Amino acid sequence: MLQYPQKITLCGFGGQGIILTAVMLGTAAVTKGGLYAVQTQSYGSEARGGQCQAELIIDTAPINSPVAEKKNLLVALFQSAYEKYIPTLAEDGVLVIDPQLVADLTHPVANTFAVPATQIAVDLGNRMAANMVVLGFLSECFGLLKEDALLEVVKTQVNPRFVELNTQAIKAGIAYAKDNNLYFHG
Amino acid sequence: MATIRANQLKAWEKRVDTGVHFMLGNYALVEGAISAGCNFFAGYPITPANEISERMSQRLPQVGGKFVQGEDELCSIFALAGASLAGGKVMTATASAGFNYMQEGLGYCYTIEAPVVVADVMRTRGDNFATYADVYQLRYGCSGDYEAIVVCPSSVQELYDYTIWAFNLAEKYRNPVIVMSEATIALMRERLEIPAADQIELFNRAYTSASPDDYLPFGAPAAGCPDFAPLGKGYHTIYSLNPHNEKGGIDWDPDDFERLYRRVCGKIRDNADEICRTERYMLDDADYAIITYGSEVRPAIEAMQMARESGIKVGVLKLCNIWPVPEKIIRETAVNVSKVFAVEMNMGRYVNEITRVVNGKCPVVPITKNRGQIHTSAEILREIQEEVK
Repeated sequence: MLQYPQKITLCGFGGQGIILTAVMLGTAAVTKGGLYAVQTQSYGSEARGGQCQAELIIDTAPINSPVAEKKNLLVALFQSAYEKYIPTLAEDGVLVIDPQLVADLTHPVANTFAVPATQIAVDLGNRMAANMVVLGFLSECFGLLKEDALLEVVKTQVNPRFVELNTQAIKAGIAYAKDNNLYFHG
Repeated sequence: MATIRANQLKAWEKRVDTGVHFMLGNYALVEGAISAGCNFFAGYPITPANEISERMSQRLPQVGGKFVQGEDELCSIFALAGASLAGGKVMTATASAGFNYMQEGLGYCYTIEAPVVVADVMRTRGDNFATYADVYQLRYGCSGDYEAIVVCPSSVQELYDYTIWAFNLAEKYRNPVIVMSEATIALMRERLEIPAADQIELFNRAYTSASPDDYLPFGAPAAGCPDFAPLGKGYHTIYSLNPHNEKGGIDWDPDDFERLYRRVCGKIRDNADEICRTERYMLDDADYAIITYGSEVRPAIEAMQMARESGIKVGVLKLCNIWPVPEKIIRETAVNVSKVFAVEMNMGRYVNEITRVVNGKCPVVPITKNRGQIHTSAEILREIQEEVK
């Protein structure tokens, strides 16, 4: 179980669903978990392909400053984004990567989890669901949220046509943590 | 003036989305407006205010309201004036550069005493960098003699709450009211709790009981505002930017137009204590006070907590509105501390008002930043530590 506040950066490139992932985590935390959350973002002017990052702070109490200089958790889904944001990770922070997209770990972090999210999503039939695999993994690995809560939030945040795919992807992310016994104990 | 609850509005079930949400700031502002009974919006696109227009275009048709995309900002603000004079509860949204263009129409609304709400989602020129550089423009942007009311939300919750407050103030004082937002909170998602509709108190402007022949569209007590008669109901009023008398006739007699300006300014000045809201944080035993507003309140409170942990007794005075200036509470705060810090996301603007009001009771030190991002708590703390060495 994580200590709160959790200060999280998710980064990658535009089109990966980085911001949606942060929004869904925040939505589940606030509307299903009784927690407080603040989510901010920045992205390039390109609709796809530009660098993209979302910040999320989750806490048990109202959050004052929406920007944190150091983060507890960095989720990097692209090499250049990893390189840009790794300096913002606290010394005892946790790194989550997709090893297919972040191959060169130039700044080793003791607590690193490699999740082949893109490959898992490809196996499910659509690589675009990699972000939901990550969401499921984060939730399970860090004990952030209950599976039911996430699956309810998917229905409110995603086009009905893609609810089934995203649901499967979240479940696959949860299963990857369980099957490989990947749990962060703080 | 009539006080009602939001559950007395038409289509109130669709207006008030009671419950806990994780919502974008710009959307929360829209929900506040819809909960307050807004039924007309006109605007022209500009980032970082676009999500306001976007959501308004979806929400207003659901509740029987009208959405207009103007061909520019000038069109939009004048459309607001017309809709307000027809009895509408009206709003527009823009951002700094777009707010420039609205000044003529906004000045018209001040002079004809049209209740309108304007959201200015402040940003730097050319990009969505957060700033509070325009705090004086919100007060002095238009020509003519008038007083501005500017409310300053610091969170997604307050974007909802203060927008309702803004509509109530606009109706109560028949004056434009500006909701001062900025890029950070506008594009931030956060917990929002929308109360039950019967818990939301709303004010509606007072309507005249006089016949069209006896009606004085600008007749009111010295520091009051006139009763309202909507356009199109047989009350033939000239609403002119020019000096006018109680009947609405253009009037160049200095006795008449000075009386008009005294009342238009007086209705805000004389009621400043009733309009102004502030919140005090740990000021009772404070040696130093931070006075700040808007999103800068957030890192300021955190810096206060950090300062106290290091033994420096800091308190925070949060200004929920910056115009009219909450002079009384600023003065009272300054008397009890040895130094005031004015934290702002600009090169030092509102610090001039604070310095004027503090009037030498203690030093006022600006803590400023204008580089596209709100202060971090560590930045504020560092400057305080430097000053109190």
